[in-house]
Amino acid sequence: MALYGLGGAVGAAGGAFFVAAHALAKSALFMVSGAVTQASEGEDRLGRLGGRWRTMPVVAAAGALAAAALAGLPLTAGFFKDELLFKAALEHGPVVTALVAAGPVLTLAYIGRFWARIFLGSPGEAPAGPRSVPATLAAPIVALGLLSVALGLWTVPLESLAAEAGSVSLGGEPAGLSVAYHLDARATNLIALGVYALGGLLLATYQRWVPVAERFALVALRFGPERAYVSSLRQANRLSSALHRVEVRDLRRRVAAVLVPCGVLVTAGFLATPTLGQYEVGPLDAGDAPLAIVLALAAAAALAAMAPRSQLVLVLVLSSAGYSLAAVFALFGAPDVALVAVLVETLFALLFVAVFSLLPGGALRREASLPVPPSRRWRDPLIAVVSGLFALAVVWGTLSSPVPPGPAISERLIELAPDAHAQDVVTAILSDFRGLDTLGEVTVLVIALAGVGGALSRRRSA
Amino acid sequence: MSPSNVLPRAVARFLLLPIGMIAVAVFVRGLSSTGDGFAAGTVAALGVVLQYVVFGHREAERRLPVRRAPLAAAAGLALGIGIGFAPLLFGDPVFTHLPPAGEKVAKLGTLELATSVAFDAAVFLTVFGMVVGIVRELARAAEREDQEE
Repeated sequence: MALYGLGGAVGAAGGAFFVAAHALAKSALFMVSGAVTQASEGEDRLGRLGGRWRTMPVVAAAGALAAAALAGLPLTAGFFKDELLFKAALEHGPVVTALVAAGPVLTLAYIGRFWARIFLGSPGEAPAGPRSVPATLAAPIVALGLLSVALGLWTVPLESLAAEAGSVSLGGEPAGLSVAYHLDARATNLIALGVYALGGLLLATYQRWVPVAERFALVALRFGPERAYVSSLRQANRLSSALHRVEVRDLRRRVAAVLVPCGVLVTAGFLATPTLGQYEVGPLDAGDAPLAIVLALAAAAALAAMAPRSQLVLVLVLSSAGYSLAAVFALFGAPDVALVAVLVETLFALLFVAVFSLLPGGALRREASLPVPPSRRWRDPLIAVVSGLFALAVVWGTLSSPVPPGPAISERLIELAPDAHAQDVVTAILSDFRGLDTLGEVTVLVIALAGVGGALSRRRSA
Repeated sequence: MSPSNVLPRAVARFLLLPIGMIAVAVFVRGLSSTGDGFAAGTVAALGVVLQYVVFGHREAERRLPVRRAPLAAAAGLALGIGIGFAPLLFGDPVFTHLPPAGEKVAKLGTLELATSVAFDAAVFLTVFGMVVGIVRELARAAEREDQEE
């Protein structure tokens, strides 16, 4: 990150190089700690480990390679990441260079200590366990460790990758980058030597630093970012539980939680936008009579859906509302939509019958005979009114909005349909122009299938 | 088998093939007129649902390979993703269909051999597999319910 901040061609490309080399080594070391913990029966305190090279020599060797790369030792890709870092820092004077060089010093010290505590010394108190590390755990560590070294010897792949990334972050300017070993007393080499010396010193005199580090850790624990993090996390958790209680306690609340915010926010949006020519009631011709009749039928069916106490009647009423809407589409001259609407309505009627057959008989009648709790007497109608008004505002506002002058996108789509080898515009839109949309919708279907399967099989085991 | 059952059973058995034909017709006509993979998939699924309604879960499962329905849905999704994103491999944007605009399309009767039609077939498979899969799950749940009572 600091490299990007230092700027320039070296900074931009070097940053990319650093990220790549660092990621290789760091992920290998994360896996080392995972593998060691796994093989030591969950012991993850460094102080209780040690001498592990006897039981896991392969992991120890690969871990050493990765640690060397992270510490920026020569012959690894990590060497160049530090070299580029120093090179970029040198352009900013000695103070910046010193600050920047402190990072690798600490890295060398902590990574050396990490590796030494695990693999060297006498076995700690933790059970060594008869288990060695399984090959599947060791293989990626070995691969990453070897890769860190290989890319330090043959630098072309990382170089070109980093140059490309660098020129992107510089906005297209070429960010040349070439790294190679130079056995001379150039500044970056000297800094690297200094870093190794200081890091080694830090590592050797580790015992002296322990009290300082502990005190710092204590201060950080009390006032540092961790405390703020934990408390903010706790508050967020509490908020989430509260929301969860409000939202998903039952199906009625779930529906309300979707409809009410949606209704309020969208209505607010509609109120805030200028509505020139919207919300006007146009004239009603005699030719519109069939449409009006069918729409009235759909509305009547929707209202009637509140009354039935028998599940079968409810399904029939609901699907008659759906069929009326299909007729509306047919009258509007949208045969594709009408066809799909009729088919889906038929299917849904059957599926509803199937689902309701799983409910205990007379469930609706029993539910209706229960007294409505006072809290719900006003809440439910309120929710219904809010969401109904919202739907009315959206539909009315959209349909009555005046057609803007100029060519409409629908005309363009009709022109383009022959190019997609389709005479039918709807099919051309679905499978070509907006194919990605269709793919998303189809994915939802598969997820729905998985959900139904999961819900019903949980029912089985319950 | 009660006598009142004979007629629906016979009708359901006879109707299966014509319904399949209609589904294919809705699909093939898709590019030139009303209909597409979604509608065709729904029609075909309704044909299977009819078998379930008339014959019940057990017999329908014996007559038709409905157990593979989720597989059909997954295959459809995979095919759709493949067709949608394969152009990326050749450096084209997603959903670049072949043959490109302006070129002639090979035809097999009314069916046009274009990748957009193959994508429609993927939609067909997914819709069909999803509906049949859900119906099958519901039927199995209902049957368990009956057994428990």
